[in-house]
Amino acid sequence: MLNRLRLEPSRILLNLAVIFIIALWTFPTAGLLISSLRDKNDIAASGWWTALSSADRKQVGRMKGSADQVEKDGKFVISGNLFEGGDGTSGKVSAFGTKVQTPSANAAGSTVTLDAGQTLTVNVDGSYILTSPTKFADERGGRIFFVSSQPPRFTLDNYQSVLFSEGIGRSFINSLTVTIPATIIPILIAAFAAYALAWMKLPFRGLLIAIIVGLLVVPLQMSLIPLLKLYNAAGYFMGVPSKTYLGIWLAHTGFGLPFAIYLLRSYIAGLPKDLIESAQIDGANDFKIFRRIVLPLCFPALASFAIFQFLWVWNDLLVAIVFLGSGPDQLVLTGKLNALLGSRGGNWEILTASAFVTIIVPLTVFFSLQRYFVRGLLAGSVKGG
Amino acid sequence: MKKVLFISAAFAALSLATPALAELKYKPGEDAKFTWANLDALKKVDLKGETLTIFGPWRGDDEKHVQVMLDYFREATGADVKYSSSENYEQQVVIDTSAGSPANISVLPQPGLIADLAGKGLLAPLTADDAKWMVENYGAGQSWVDLGTSKGKDGAKNFYGFSYKTDVKSLVWYSPENFKDAGYAVPKTMEELIALSDKIVKDGGKPWCIGLGSGGATGWPATDWVEDIMLRTQKPEVYDGWVNNSVKFTDPAVINALDIFGSFAKNDAYVDGGHAGVASIDFRDSPKGLFSTPPKCYMHHQASFIPSFFPEGKKVGTDVDFFYFPTFAAKADLGTPVLGAGTLFTITKDSKAARAFIDFLKLPLAHEIWMADGGFLTPLKSANPAAYANDAARKEGAMMASATTFRFDGSDMMPGKIGAGAFWTGMVDFVGGKSSVDTAAEIQKAWDALK
Amino acid sequence: MAEQIIYAFFTVIIGVGGCFGYFYGSNWLLDRIFPANASNDSSAVRNLKMQSMIRPWLFLGPALILLSVYLLFPVVQTFWLSFHDRAGDKFVGLANYVWAFNDDQFRLSIFNNILWLAVVPALCTLMGLVIAVLTDRLWWGNLAKSLIFMPLAISFVGASVIWKFVYDYRGEGQDQIGIINAIVTYFGGSPQVWIALPFWNNFFLMAILVWIQTGFATVILAAALRGIPEDTLEAATIDGAGPFKIFFRIMVPQIYGTILVVWTTITVLVLKIFDIVLTMTNSQWDTSVLANLMFDWMFRGGGDFGRGAAIAIVIMVAVLPIMIWNIRQANKEQSGH
Repeated sequence: MLNRLRLEPSRILLNLAVIFIIALWTFPTAGLLISSLRDKNDIAASGWWTALSSADRKQVGRMKGSADQVEKDGKFVISGNLFEGGDGTSGKVSAFGTKVQTPSANAAGSTVTLDAGQTLTVNVDGSYILTSPTKFADERGGRIFFVSSQPPRFTLDNYQSVLFSEGIGRSFINSLTVTIPATIIPILIAAFAAYALAWMKLPFRGLLIAIIVGLLVVPLQMSLIPLLKLYNAAGYFMGVPSKTYLGIWLAHTGFGLPFAIYLLRSYIAGLPKDLIESAQIDGANDFKIFRRIVLPLCFPALASFAIFQFLWVWNDLLVAIVFLGSGPDQLVLTGKLNALLGSRGGNWEILTASAFVTIIVPLTVFFSLQRYFVRGLLAGSVKGG
Repeated sequence: MKKVLFISAAFAALSLATPALAELKYKPGEDAKFTWANLDALKKVDLKGETLTIFGPWRGDDEKHVQVMLDYFREATGADVKYSSSENYEQQVVIDTSAGSPANISVLPQPGLIADLAGKGLLAPLTADDAKWMVENYGAGQSWVDLGTSKGKDGAKNFYGFSYKTDVKSLVWYSPENFKDAGYAVPKTMEELIALSDKIVKDGGKPWCIGLGSGGATGWPATDWVEDIMLRTQKPEVYDGWVNNSVKFTDPAVINALDIFGSFAKNDAYVDGGHAGVASIDFRDSPKGLFSTPPKCYMHHQASFIPSFFPEGKKVGTDVDFFYFPTFAAKADLGTPVLGAGTLFTITKDSKAARAFIDFLKLPLAHEIWMADGGFLTPLKSANPAAYANDAARKEGAMMASATTFRFDGSDMMPGKIGAGAFWTGMVDFVGGKSSVDTAAEIQKAWDALK
Repeated sequence: MAEQIIYAFFTVIIGVGGCFGYFYGSNWLLDRIFPANASNDSSAVRNLKMQSMIRPWLFLGPALILLSVYLLFPVVQTFWLSFHDRAGDKFVGLANYVWAFNDDQFRLSIFNNILWLAVVPALCTLMGLVIAVLTDRLWWGNLAKSLIFMPLAISFVGASVIWKFVYDYRGEGQDQIGIINAIVTYFGGSPQVWIALPFWNNFFLMAILVWIQTGFATVILAAALRGIPEDTLEAATIDGAGPFKIFFRIMVPQIYGTILVVWTTITVLVLKIFDIVLTMTNSQWDTSVLANLMFDWMFRGGGDFGRGAAIAIVIMVAVLPIMIWNIRQANKEQSGH
């Protein structure tokens, strides 16, 4: 290894700087991750950072109804525990109240007198005793408001509702069926085109490059109607459905090509000139040069493009809903998750959990392609070749 | 390459060959609240081998409801019904119809959009018999027919949209127990409502939760407020004129309605989060304030669908309830107007099955099934009210039936650029501090800019 | 399910295989028709000449066809539509353009787009370069880069939720669920509706794109840094060059081309920025940009294809300077070869 930048203080400084940037960048995502593990009612009720510590929370519990009353010493008594029955939470009650406006009017353990001679005691452990000189009539018990200290509470429910929804496995396969060819095909086509534009003699080269750059800016939304019309006409002409996998592969390929060609061309054009010239002198034709020399050398660039194209296709919803049907055999993962959100937009718990469900595959791809970004690949193969 | 095409086609055919056998949720003949005779009649319609595609706005739980209803049509006729939806389905309908590959039936919540599509010749008109049936069988039938009627490409007026499934919008949600704890009574008039709001402020609380946030549709909840207020301050004819812009946005009647809305939403003492919060708080989060301890607010004006955004386990009728958004005692002559919304079924690609499906929607059974499944109101007089899933729905249904005036959501009927554009953004600006006069002028300017 | 997987597998094989087949097949065919090792020399020379004339087009062919169908054709169609009325039936001349330039919303969108163009590409590229260089020699550099890259992998819907938890506003005195307002109130300030603050809200939206796209810049630039031959760096170190000198004198010139690629790509992306504005503000509070304006006119409420198309054309014209600049670069390169 090189030992430039090896000065110790600068080394520490470097590490600190990177840690700071990483923290800044991951902080918002951390919020999403923690939110996705929270109870769905809590997500929009308190900041996600508060989920990490135990906090005093104002809560509401409901006492048992008249069916559970017992007569004791001439008094009617209803007793129970506020932490019972609910979602299995426990905690310590510090204060309680019987009116929503004053949820912490009384300290825990104290006894308050209510209307009509009723008394209520709520203890620290959440147990309560309500007594009355007359029989309770309400089937539905009254509310008790209380302040309790809650330990951090996390749940996998949100993931469960996303991962075990019907048909999600199939839509996952559908997404892969769309994404894999829609990533590989443009790489191949673009790599050949990029090589031609970088190293082969052909007329209007500059113009072609400029047009490809110009096509980068074509807003996708604008091309949907003309293309769908074309698909319908082609489908009708050939007697096949207009919304097929082939159709969406080609669509993603078409939309991804300008960027692919642009990126790969700049990389391939930067390869050492003598490398290619010497191969030409050896009598290799361009196809051979491309296959044997250029393709292995531009692996890092291919890998980078593959990642971006994969991400874009994987996360795409618009192209999929327009060019692919929405039956179970064609609905992609993004479409499926979108359908879970309900007619009027999403509930936060599904949004947060599904964001992480979709991110798993792209991250796996990223990590598996990352090993191709290795220094010396270029130099090594030059020496070896 | 061609090979792939054929294989994809074969694949598609393969998946078609194995339709899941539908299991009917409510067994035919079992519950007397359903009009089962309809099902036997429907069985005479033979659509075996026909495919019917339906594109609608319902996703999530709503999609489960619509599938339950569709199962009966599948079972009785043998048709293969494919329902689909998507997040930006309004845009997708435009894309699909313009490109020439729409579903057989597209379900649209906006009459304004229907008028646009019909004007471009992209919708197949329904028959005069369909219109006649609706006049005779729907409560306030003619108004429903008018709602679905617009000009075709040739300029002739036709009936395009068949209303099925409606929502009531004129509701104020509250927690009866919170009202009881504080000693508040449900207001009967708008004057009482305002007095109650003032009282809540005096008691140290915030009366209202209003949230206009809705991602790409931010602002729409405010339009419901303004429409409800219009119906409570002006004659229905003025409302109709406002919707078709013969009464301008800058008309004093509209400005007045804006100002009344402003007296709620722009009043920092009235709303949770202050007027700045109103514009940005998400409409899905906003009603949660009713349930917090202590309550962030006591009342929430929203349509009948909102309980699906209440915290889990909150039962309508006990934990939370609604009352009719009251009228001004000073304007008693306007009766009890009700603002509603709903979905209209249009034929975007004509077929025998599509026509048969519209006929299916005329059967009381088609309404009763969804009524029983929840989240569905109907103006169909012959549908059995006993089929409603709960008392709340029955109460809403009764409210709609007893309305002296029923009007459809005005913003849905305005041209899309206004009703789903300038009106929304205008309301956000208005709540953010712009004056009612400037806001109205801005929206009117956008309307004038339309060709 | 098993059937589906097998089926998916075969469609994938056929799709990708067909593509491979084309390139091998067509090149094989070319070598057969014009054999380079022909019996007599003159025909071999002629054949080689033919080969070198035809082969570029074999290489470029599929790309050019796909680009024409999927991008050029819609552009032509849009150009045509921009001179027609809302349904695309009647010729209206320049009316749509005249309307656009007199429309306040349009002018606002242009202004906002320029703002975005001035800030985002530069910031992304700079951040990307800094991170790529800093993490280049760290033993945990790959992990660091992956974390920076992660936002790029999150869908826009996910991203909009993430940033809700950053910018969210609750009334004074309530629990804030947006981190910025929580910090502001912690230090005694009063909470703000960040995304509704005119003018400044543009920058809050830009932050989201910078957050997402820095990962892109980092990955591309890191790959380019890895491409710098080890020996040049070694030589510089032996000559006693400091880290800054190595960075500016050796690294930056070597990857200059890549820096420009990154900058251009992000610039183009910013020109058509759409999703962030749609999900965060829906163009409200004066945050409208051209792509959103176009989308609104095209698809909202039945659509006005003419006006939508005119705005699309404006977006595409804006890329012209970048195109011209790229032609110059390419020509310079060519003369350098």
